[in-house]
Amino acid sequence: MTNPVKNMQRAIADYKQMNAKDQKRYLTDMVLNNALYILMAIFVIYTAIKQPNFLTLGSFANLITQVAAYLPLALGIAGCIVLTGTDLSAGRVVGLTAAIAGVFMQKADFANKMFQNLPEITLGWILATMLIVVLIGAMIGLVNGFFVAKFSLHPFIVTLSTQLITYGIILWFFALNGNNGQPISGLSREYKDFVGGAMFRLGGVAVPRYVLYAIILTVVMWFIWNKTTFGKNMFAVGSNAEAAKVSGVNVFMTTVLVHTLAGAMYGYAGFIEGVRAGSVAASTGLNAECDAIAACVIGGVSFVGGTGKISGIILGVFVLRIIFVALTMLGVDSSSLYIIKGAIILCACALDMRKYLVKK
Amino acid sequence: MKKLVAVGLASAMALSLTACGAKEQPAATTAAAAATEAATEAAKEEVKDDAKVVVFWYDESDVFLGFVRDAMNKEFEALGITPDNQFAANNQSTQIDQINTAIAGGADILVVNQVTSGASDTAEDILAAAGDIPVVFFNRPIGVDGSETPVLTENNTVAFIGTDAPEAGHMQGEMIGEYVVANFDAIDINKDGKISYAMMKGDEANVEAIYRTQYGLEDANAVIEAAGKPALVYFDAANTDCYQVDQGGAWSAAAAKEYMDTNFVSYNEANGNMIELVICNNDGMAEGVIASLQEKGYNTGDGHVVPVFGVDATDNAKALIADGAMTGTIKQDDKGMAAAVANTAKAILEGATPAEALASLNDDRFSIDAEINTKMYVAFAPYTGE
Repeated sequence: MTNPVKNMQRAIADYKQMNAKDQKRYLTDMVLNNALYILMAIFVIYTAIKQPNFLTLGSFANLITQVAAYLPLALGIAGCIVLTGTDLSAGRVVGLTAAIAGVFMQKADFANKMFQNLPEITLGWILATMLIVVLIGAMIGLVNGFFVAKFSLHPFIVTLSTQLITYGIILWFFALNGNNGQPISGLSREYKDFVGGAMFRLGGVAVPRYVLYAIILTVVMWFIWNKTTFGKNMFAVGSNAEAAKVSGVNVFMTTVLVHTLAGAMYGYAGFIEGVRAGSVAASTGLNAECDAIAACVIGGVSFVGGTGKISGIILGVFVLRIIFVALTMLGVDSSSLYIIKGAIILCACALDMRKYLVKK
Repeated sequence: MKKLVAVGLASAMALSLTACGAKEQPAATTAAAAATEAATEAAKEEVKDDAKVVVFWYDESDVFLGFVRDAMNKEFEALGITPDNQFAANNQSTQIDQINTAIAGGADILVVNQVTSGASDTAEDILAAAGDIPVVFFNRPIGVDGSETPVLTENNTVAFIGTDAPEAGHMQGEMIGEYVVANFDAIDINKDGKISYAMMKGDEANVEAIYRTQYGLEDANAVIEAAGKPALVYFDAANTDCYQVDQGGAWSAAAAKEYMDTNFVSYNEANGNMIELVICNNDGMAEGVIASLQEKGYNTGDGHVVPVFGVDATDNAKALIADGAMTGTIKQDDKGMAAAVANTAKAILEGATPAEALASLNDDRFSIDAEINTKMYVAFAPYTGE
């Protein structure tokens, strides 16, 4: 893996040694295992021919901006999937933390400001707000993890419950102080700059700061997954919880921490979501977990458990966003968009499972 | 071993692919960018035949907007334009992504049905992203209590075509008030001298829903009390909100029907506390309420009719009114809205400023705001059958 050229040479040498039948099977396997990427390449080329604007720098800036927005959620939820679980509460946690961040970050002179006695918007307060919403997200994740680990409940049930509870809290929050369910608006300039301020421009399209934050988060998550005991324990528990327990891994703590870390990521996603949409409504974050789960699965984070790579998640998010951008540019109606997205997820999962079936 | 080889080969292939992509992209990009620039320059001379109009809808499943879309597609076709319709599935971030993508794709005009209604900041952000590309907002309000004024007056690339948000609520309230005054004793089933009502709200956060919920009741009570009758009483004293809301924010018939079915368990004629009148934020919810009533034997043509009021005058609602199952609705002019948007977009594409474009329409159905010349209203009208 470290030396692609050498690997390739070796692969070609191996290939030459095979007999005709093996060669054929080898090629079919390779095409099937990479079918998704081959299809994406064809798709990108087709789009570029039909719509030359697709391959401009501005379009690329638009694409990475979207990837950066969807990546944190996928990075968080991936841990839950590695544990053979899932997290349905992610979207609503984003909604709640976006609302709280939004309220903390409203302009001082905004007419419909929900809470009057908040600190002035300074860099310190912005960072404090980020920390607060990340902690709130982590707390909900902790609740998820606790119930999953303590009572051996399936994460589907636990997170479905917290999803509903969180939405209830969101509705209650939006009705506070005579806000009467109206969207939270009037976000301060400082907050918007901190999250969405342009770092530089590509082809006239601004690249916001949260692209940088997404890169930092990715590096941090890569480190946690690959270089820490916690990360290794997570994969051990995901592949075989019993075996992990026997070899001395604290399964309870690992499960709780994975969900807590996921929750923290949702909290961060909420922190940037308000700026992205310009305002926060009670429906913010609705179904956001679906895209995140889909991205993970496409990127090879398997529901079988114990497998997955950070690079795969990034790839999964890219695939989903490329589909979105390309089909939007081609003017394909949204019903087809859903169908194509569904088909790709299905294919990705089927191809993924195929590898395990072959193994057995 | 074979697996290792496969992985190695695959990664090598992927690497080489990305490497090629990265190397070739800038060259292709600059060329393409130059080409587009040249194209836009040339296009400014005359109106393009293939003008790219992109229409962003908040959701695909909204019944009333379905009628608007149908009418708008026809209007645009008549003008020789094929609009590109995009749907945001009730998610503002998705819509922002779609808008940015359309801008990168070279859209000439953006027609936006903003997801988060009443958020002027979001409208501001959309304008900032659009730059020189004109934006026509329609249907869903882009501000509350005048917060949209600066958006519309300080930018010269924007217009808003919608309805005066409180107007439907006022009209519905007035209609209900007059109906109750004329039929008070017939409505009052339990003869306690008071009329108990239920209120179905479409979306907790939507400005139109909020205004309709408020004025639909307030104005009705104003008319009723002026006639010397007691005001409407909410059926459930324990509910201080005095409404039941579609928690999915989808103004759906299903939500309204579920609420009515549940209400019936403890509030019915046998208990002497039956709901005697239902106000709904839209016709979809009214349909749900009527479906529930009909299951219990009401509003079926013969027998007692619980008056149900909606807004939108959808075809289904008109049919229900003709059958006597529904009492009244407020006509929201789908065709008028579509014509206004399509013709404004066309005029702007031909070089008019948004204000000039709106002024050029000259139609009885439309009225331009008294203070803001880039804001136009499509009128509502009461509807109780033809």
